Amino acid sequence: MGKMLFLCTKDWEVIEMYVLGVETSCDETSVSVVKDGKEVLSNVVLSQIDIHKEYGGVVPEIASREHVKGITYVFDKAINDAGLKFEDINLIAVTKGPGLIGSLLIGVNAAKVISLNYNIPIIGVHHIAGHIYANYIDNGMIFPLLALVVSGGHTELILMKEHFDFEKLGETQDDAVGEAYDKVARILGLPYPGGPVVDKIASIGKDTMHFPRPMIDSGDFNFSFSGLKSHVINVHHNMKQRNEEINVEDYCASFQEAVTDVLVSKTIQAKENYKVKQIIVAGGVAANSGLRKKMKERITDIPVYFPKMAYCTDNAAMIASAGYFQFLKHKKSDDLLLNGQSRLNLEG
Amino acid sequence: MKKSLKQLVIDTATKYIYLSLVIDGVEKQSVYEEGINNHSVTIIPFIEEMLKKENLILKDLDQVIIGVGPGSYTGVRIGVTVGKMIGYLNNLEVYTISSLALMASFSDNPYVLALIDARRGNAFMGVYQNLNKKLISISKDVMDNIEDYIKSFEFDLQIITEGKPQIEKLLHSNLLNKVDDIHSLTPNYLRVTEAERNLKNEINH
Ligand SMILES: [Zn+2]
Repeated sequence: MGKMLFLCTKDWEVIEMYVLGVETSCDETSVSVVKDGKEVLSNVVLSQIDIHKEYGGVVPEIASREHVKGITYVFDKAINDAGLKFEDINLIAVTKGPGLIGSLLIGVNAAKVISLNYNIPIIGVHHIAGHIYANYIDNGMIFPLLALVVSGGHTELILMKEHFDFEKLGETQDDAVGEAYDKVARILGLPYPGGPVVDKIASIGKDTMHFPRPMIDSGDFNFSFSGLKSHVINVHHNMKQRNEEINVEDYCASFQEAVTDVLVSKTIQAKENYKVKQIIVAGGVAANSGLRKKMKERITDIPVYFPKMAYCTDNAAMIASAGYFQFLKHKKSDDLLLNGQSRLNLEG
Repeated sequence: MKKSLKQLVIDTATKYIYLSLVIDGVEKQSVYEEGINNHSVTIIPFIEEMLKKENLILKDLDQVIIGVGPGSYTGVRIGVTVGKMIGYLNNLEVYTISSLALMASFSDNPYVLALIDARRGNAFMGVYQNLNKKLISISKDVMDNIEDYIKSFEFDLQIITEGKPQIEKLLHSNLLNKVDDIHSLTPNYLRVTEAERNLKNEINH
């Protein structure tokens, strides 16, 4: 209890807290320094997209190799960009999962070395908590809030009644929404990563094909995208067999409309059900312009926030911000046995 | 008082983790433990414990010696990451060494073949010779078919697949390679990833 009291005193609140964020869960090597969970002093992201592009997706072994190669450079640049020394850091926040295990372990071990070297407390952060807190950097959080997390690996609705309190209301039963985008892009022969390209093409097309809206009226907050994905692929296949010309713009627009209809509709249902005061959208698919537009058009009674584009994709600033609140909430750090975990529950 | 030389040796390229704290050429503390998929958990606590026993902290070190493989064991990246970070943060002299040389140093046989299995009859292999209490390399590390490779030598080889390194045999050998740019340090994988091989085949056919 003594420690808790110390952390709750006024003294603690006025202490400037510099958090060093570390993120290596997939194909971005990223280190960031964030002050008090909000002010980003540096955010260095070494992206491997150009390397994995040739393979049509992330190759785990290559991702791990690239993380080792870039790791010290990224730390060096992040601390210099922030104009600080490692000694100035008060807390290290590192993504411990979920993600590619070989990739996670690079960030976790590098972060543990800094912790031991400078005797700085370290905490392992859930990657999705990071995506949610990406919103705190440019916006605020008003509770209770609803977070729609949409990425290549996740599609879930999360209720937060206060800082660092997560209740999963529902999630995808099969594919993540980002996966479905990538698959559709591949069928059309579009370059990886497919999401942004499909989004761009969709913006000049029309919903002429009226694809199904899976689980839109299921009454719960779960999602399913594998059926829609198969349906969309079959339509493409059949049209090709019949030598029908495919209007790519309309095809993409029809797919995007179906997906965003489901996402927005479920979000509205959850909003009504839990009487939330704010909605935030998080994860790579939060960058999708069709989703941004529809959310803002259909939800006008409470604020809907999206992170800045740079904080939609994986980055360490969001991990630093989440780590700050995790530390304030739980008032304890991890020990040096901290490990990466490919699967990890957000609700803890 | 003469300043002593403090070296930390790290190797996680096999299922054994090897850590050593060498002061003025003498191994003062060491760890050699089997730990399948566990090096990531134990490496930092082990290092902390070894240093503590000698009343040292990371900043007191002068040099880091890192086993860089070869091998496909994912553990190799743990040791390289940790060694690289320690070297970078404290601006230390960093040396790399073959993990096969470390393994071979366990044996005092005249000729030793150190082997890390790579499946389908293949392995990462290096042949070393014990000479005047020093280990020397007599063929560079390879990834090859085990039988073919062994047949290519005309003398008797002792084959070993594990064993605690005798680090003193290596400290003054020419098996240590100085790292000039810490940021460019990576494990010695000896072969490209399967994905890269497949992509190359696709392009060639
Ligand atoms: Zn992510």
